[in-house]
Amino acid sequence: MTTRNAPADSLEVQLFGGFRQFVPNGTLLVETGDAKTVADLRREVERAFGGDDNALMLLKASAFATDRRVLDDESERFPSDEPLSVLPPVCGG
Amino acid sequence: MHLAVTDRPLDGNSALEFCSAPGHGAVDLFIGRVRDINQGKSVLGVSYDLHAALCSNVFAEIAAEALDQWGRETRLWLTHRSGRLEVGEASVVAAASSRHRDEAFKACRYLVEQMKHRAPIWKQEHYVDGDSEWVKGHALCGHG
Repeated sequence: MTTRNAPADSLEVQLFGGFRQFVPNGTLLVETGDAKTVADLRREVERAFGGDDNALMLLKASAFATDRRVLDDESERFPSDEPLSVLPPVCGG
Repeated sequence: MHLAVTDRPLDGNSALEFCSAPGHGAVDLFIGRVRDINQGKSVLGVSYDLHAALCSNVFAEIAAEALDQWGRETRLWLTHRSGRLEVGEASVVAAASSRHRDEAFKACRYLVEQMKHRAPIWKQEHYVDGDSEWVKGHALCGHG
């Protein structure tokens, strides 16, 4: 999520489910640079995962979200003042 | 309606008490439990991870849709556990009550099916052989 602890031009995104095997603390620091849209943010998260093919494959099937809603339009601007999360495929129950 | 995620044990009786009204002749209760085998592997337990804030919003959306479809007087209950559960423990309790059985059956099933497809909840199975695995699920994005 976006946090006060993240350096300027970066933000923290929360990770859940299967991402915890790649990032056990569930938080990924992402350089935002010129990123404005959800698609831009996805590219930056891809970069943050480096060459981890398993993480990248899971990311491809994942959605971005705030605490209020899933950001299902990749061309949408992501809010800079709300926590952001990456949600892998879900399986409650 | 009563909608919640919790790390405490779930109670079906509370759902039945809540989903009750003098004019309601039907109540449908669903309890999902951790089972001891999945896809041929012996399961010891399951760890549930969830996004609590978003889960609350998704549960509210699903419940509102159910009320739209089966009437505002329908009473609804949906609760889901988080954390580590052992075999036999309840992971989800859903209930619906209404004047007649058809609405109660359909509303209760709607809560469960929509929760499984839309709620930000994930489960990691722990197997007897010491292995653990995150269970594959339903993508929330259009390209997954």
